[in-house]
Amino acid sequence: MGRVIVITSGKGGVGKTTASANIGVALANTGASVCLVDMDIGLRNLDILMGLENRVVYNLVDVVEERCKLRQALVKDKRMPNLNLLPAAQTRDKTAVDADQMKKLCEELKSMFDFVLIDSPAGIESGFQNAIAGAEEAIVITTPEMSAVRDADRIIGLLEARKDEITQYRLVLNRLRPKMVANADMMGVDDVLEILSIKLLGVVPEDEDIIISTNKGEPVSGTDNTRSGLAFRNIARRLRGEEVPFMDLDAKNDTWVTKIVNFFNPVRV
Amino acid sequence: MQQLIDWLFKVPNGTAAVTAKDRMRNMLVHDRLELPAGKLEVLEEELTAVVARYFDLEPDTTRFDLQQMDRKAALIANFRLVRSKC
Repeated sequence: MGRVIVITSGKGGVGKTTASANIGVALANTGASVCLVDMDIGLRNLDILMGLENRVVYNLVDVVEERCKLRQALVKDKRMPNLNLLPAAQTRDKTAVDADQMKKLCEELKSMFDFVLIDSPAGIESGFQNAIAGAEEAIVITTPEMSAVRDADRIIGLLEARKDEITQYRLVLNRLRPKMVANADMMGVDDVLEILSIKLLGVVPEDEDIIISTNKGEPVSGTDNTRSGLAFRNIARRLRGEEVPFMDLDAKNDTWVTKIVNFFNPVRV
Repeated sequence: MQQLIDWLFKVPNGTAAVTAKDRMRNMLVHDRLELPAGKLEVLEEELTAVVARYFDLEPDTTRFDLQQMDRKAALIANFRLVRSKC
């Protein structure tokens, strides 16, 4: 039986879909079979990030309403046959499925895959409730901005209220800018962890390569030589139970000494 | 030259992160309790009145502090007692 993990944030635009795509690719690269589920019904985007938008035929709502078999709706990744996408419907809205239908769908998916990653829509309403309905674990994504952290806190509160179903949740701190943190212009990893009292799964630095990879439809975690890609690969390894050390991104003050040290020791995440 | 020295030995001087963290702490402790604005002040007044029935309090020294402890909140009250009224 596989693991059903929901990726959620509360606030929109903090990188849920990007994280879903990248963690999915990174997990598939470790050899696991993975299904990415786009639960953002009406605002479908995960297919674009994966570069699979031209291959979508059926979608999640078609499966739930029995217009097709589950296997027919799954889109195989271009590069990795063990990575699959269940796309969202683009022409429907969040009310097209309910929590019981999601639970049933997740049961079926986890009998087929090692990892079922659910990309949740923003907000705390029905779309979010449906996205977490079949999940056993959660990844909470936030950026170090106050509004994103506040929304993440709300999500954590809602996840905690479902302790029986969702047994563990961990944080991914996305779009961290180490230089701003070092100058005390922005909250760092420790600040956010202390405020939210949550376990850390990973830290992803702000990285222009993300924009480039999105445009290409090839998630960064599938390619070498990007800091964000490495961060997502580390997250995947931690999800598989490996102990991967966190490098302290906050601690560097930007003096010429640290600049030289950093030059020889590129930041790791 | 001064600019070069400043650049070489630049020390962090921002305070935005500290401000953000303080504001967040305060905000979340209220969010989590779903505490309507002004209620805490009423509680503080009432608590002070109760304690003042039993003790003479040193004027203007009573302090209330709402703190975060893990994901729970703690209300810490500090009364300076002069003598018992009982």
